[in-house]
Amino acid sequence: MSEQFKPNIVAFLCNWCTYAGADLAGTSRIQYPANVKIIRVMCSGRVNPLYVVNALQQGADGVLISGCHPGDCHYMEGNYYARRRLKLLKELLEFTGVDPRRFNMSWVSASEGHKWKEVVEKAVEDAIAAGPFDQFRRRQIGW
Amino acid sequence: MDLDKLRKTAAEVVSRDDVKYLIGWRRGTFGYRVAPHFIEDAAGVDELIFSPLCIANLANYLTLTEKLPVPRGQEADTRKVALLVKGCDSRAVAQLIVEKGIKREDVVVIGMPCPGMIDWKLLAERYPETDVAAEIGWKGEDFLLIRGEEEITIPRAEVLAEKCRLCRHPNPVLSDITIGEAVEPWAVAEDSGVAEIEAKEAAERWDYWEEQFSKCIRCYSCRNACPLCYCEDCILDRLDPIWVNRAVNFSENTAFHLARAFHLAGRCVECGECERVCPVGIPLGKLNRKLARTVREEYGFEPGLDPEAEPFQASFKPDDPEEFIL
Amino acid sequence: MSAMLLNKEKWSEFIGKLSGKNLWAPAVQGEVKKYAPVAEGETVELDEGNTTVPPKALLFPQTETLYRFSTGKEELEFPGLDEEMVLLGVRPCDARAMALVENLFRWDFDDPYYLKRRELTTLIGLACNEPELNCFCPSVGGSPDSTEGLDILMTDLGESYLLETVTEKGKAIVEEMKDLLEEAPADALEQKEQLAKGAREKIRRGIDPEGIPEALPQLWEDPLWQRISAPCLGCGICTYLCPTCYCFDIQDEIEGSAGRRCRMWDSCMFAEYTKHTSGHNPRPTRRERTRNRINHKYSYFVDKFGVIACVGCGRCSTLCPVNIDLIDILRQVKAAQ
Ligand code: SF4
Ligand code: SF4
Ligand code: SF4
Ligand code: SF4
Ligand code: SF4
Repeated sequence: MSEQFKPNIVAFLCNWCTYAGADLAGTSRIQYPANVKIIRVMCSGRVNPLYVVNALQQGADGVLISGCHPGDCHYMEGNYYARRRLKLLKELLEFTGVDPRRFNMSWVSASEGHKWKEVVEKAVEDAIAAGPFDQFRRRQIGW
Repeated sequence: MDLDKLRKTAAEVVSRDDVKYLIGWRRGTFGYRVAPHFIEDAAGVDELIFSPLCIANLANYLTLTEKLPVPRGQEADTRKVALLVKGCDSRAVAQLIVEKGIKREDVVVIGMPCPGMIDWKLLAERYPETDVAAEIGWKGEDFLLIRGEEEITIPRAEVLAEKCRLCRHPNPVLSDITIGEAVEPWAVAEDSGVAEIEAKEAAERWDYWEEQFSKCIRCYSCRNACPLCYCEDCILDRLDPIWVNRAVNFSENTAFHLARAFHLAGRCVECGECERVCPVGIPLGKLNRKLARTVREEYGFEPGLDPEAEPFQASFKPDDPEEFIL
Repeated sequence: MSAMLLNKEKWSEFIGKLSGKNLWAPAVQGEVKKYAPVAEGETVELDEGNTTVPPKALLFPQTETLYRFSTGKEELEFPGLDEEMVLLGVRPCDARAMALVENLFRWDFDDPYYLKRRELTTLIGLACNEPELNCFCPSVGGSPDSTEGLDILMTDLGESYLLETVTEKGKAIVEEMKDLLEEAPADALEQKEQLAKGAREKIRRGIDPEGIPEALPQLWEDPLWQRISAPCLGCGICTYLCPTCYCFDIQDEIEGSAGRRCRMWDSCMFAEYTKHTSGHNPRPTRRERTRNRINHKYSYFVDKFGVIACVGCGRCSTLCPVNIDLIDILRQVKAAQ
């Protein structure tokens, strides 16, 4: 199954670092899997954990959040808050039985096109290993 | 517990000019129920009690009570609210101060060192409720149920509420007046409820919570009973954007429960109200306690101990754990 | 009204025959008891006590799709609503509640969803031999063996169940089960009367509602509402789980180019229930909301339909987390009169 299964990964990238890093990967013609759907946010600290929950509800098999390395945040400290919050979210998802491989977070700077490729490859690999995530789908169930 | 001293103190406090009312507990109308009791004048203190059934956290009313706009030409009532708090309740007060949900000077806190509360459902399994409100007290380590002539000793371990079994702060962390002597905190065993779930495989955990969340009727009693769920514009009620659909089904219920647990991470003081009020018995406390433990063990922080602390999710340390980040 | 006897030895056969008919019966799920479908081959054990979630949830689902729509398609898609359903073990109070609620769903407009479901449903009730602590059905015109709203009333006689047929629908079921049943002897009927009498005597709480509907409008501004509602959490427990509460909200859910219009339970105890778009709320506090809940049940409904919209099931009193106790409220209303 893992051969055909093409996971859907929603990635929330900060405008200043990872989004630029992903852009660099593109302009440098670095090949990486096409499974990620990128949503640009101004800062990883702007990622409301409910974005992650909603993405999983609406058909994502995995979620990736990426921002600037600690110390490099355009807003000085946004990514520090993100780190705290998303760690809690990760624990919560795991505790409720969501496969931990569906949730990844990374620091990728504007110059790390290669790291971006590796992060995406890891996220895709993880999501493939975890398999399709149907159980949580938002369904307009029942009459 | 010195009930006379409590009533006398309460009478003094409600008689103060700068106190609007005092919130305590009174005997309920039947069985093992106890009701929050709002006292406006000294006469009301006669019904005031403190017993092992006084489990409700009254700090909730500090934010739940509606603050209506003051009609033009009238002065706002700025008098204080006095309330009785156990250890866990006092932590809710402290956390509310941290979050600027209330101001310290707006409350008069009467601290009740707490020997532990009864989970009345456990008690009712052994001694069914009757139409007469039961009288219950502490007797050494144990509890004493008085029914007419009959006095029944109930071993502590049989009916102690789960949250109390796990309680690390039975003495109020802040108070203006304390009634009675501080209690000796008891040894707290590992949180078996959380550990049992952690020991399961991911798929089993999912099944466990699926069964639980599917029962939810979204009455939002858990939210409303929580002293720290007090947003004026809760995401659950918002229509634009809709964060969680109003439809009651497993997917939306799960989203709701993830949101609720997350919003309380680093804030929950483990007073157990959410789980206590749930009409369908969803073990919400396990979600909260799991995250509280992470915050305690990995960040060395416990909410509601220090009214001067910084809110956990709105602060950070440069060396916070990040082993999970690629 | 014919009376038949079902020996408990034939119980599983009886259930077996019913389970082909989309059968639902009370089942314990962790801490709650609620109606669950009975699959073929499964058995049902009826015990004392009522469900936490009333059977209204089956006729008036908490979330119900009224129709679906999608862009580019002019027709709306409506639910089929053609499946018959049998509810087994319905308590007399809950069955009465369905009869009362029908008043509303037939009032100025025939609600096709509710009425269709009601028509497709057969209610097989179970008389209460052991009423619960807060049961007070006799105070409000019911009784532990009331047949109002039911198609068949069963009474547990120990070795057997007595089945009393109330309606044509009930008759049809009894007819189908003929082989399992025997004509009830006179002493079975006698035993049933004794049990019913015993059950009424076991009811511990209650109030004479005489005068309450008239008193309520007089007490509109009485301080008792402030006192009663001060501890209220403003949650949905006492209304969502009340068998006679029927308030709903209608919302659209849209996903991509398709969506549905659905209705969901709502509660007058919620702040948003009366909140205007402007932000103004004519029932600004829990005082007005609590007053509305009691007035609706014990005054407005009486004015409109001539009957109290409470069947005395006691759920609100039992389940309120802060001991806001309907029976006690009614006592206070009488005292304030
Ligand atoms: S958690 Fe602690 S302070 Fe709170 S009621 Fe239990 S023993 Fe008392
Ligand atoms: S109190 Fe229980 S049933 Fe009500 S919303 Fe909370 S979890 Fe759901
Ligand atoms: S009366 Fe009780 S059950 Fe009803 S809304 Fe208030 S707290 Fe909830
Ligand atoms: S108005 Fe309130 S009491 Fe009346 S049916 Fe609606 S929810 Fe129930
Ligand atoms: S108002 Fe209370 S007692 Fe009356 S029918 Fe509703 S839940 Fe039952």
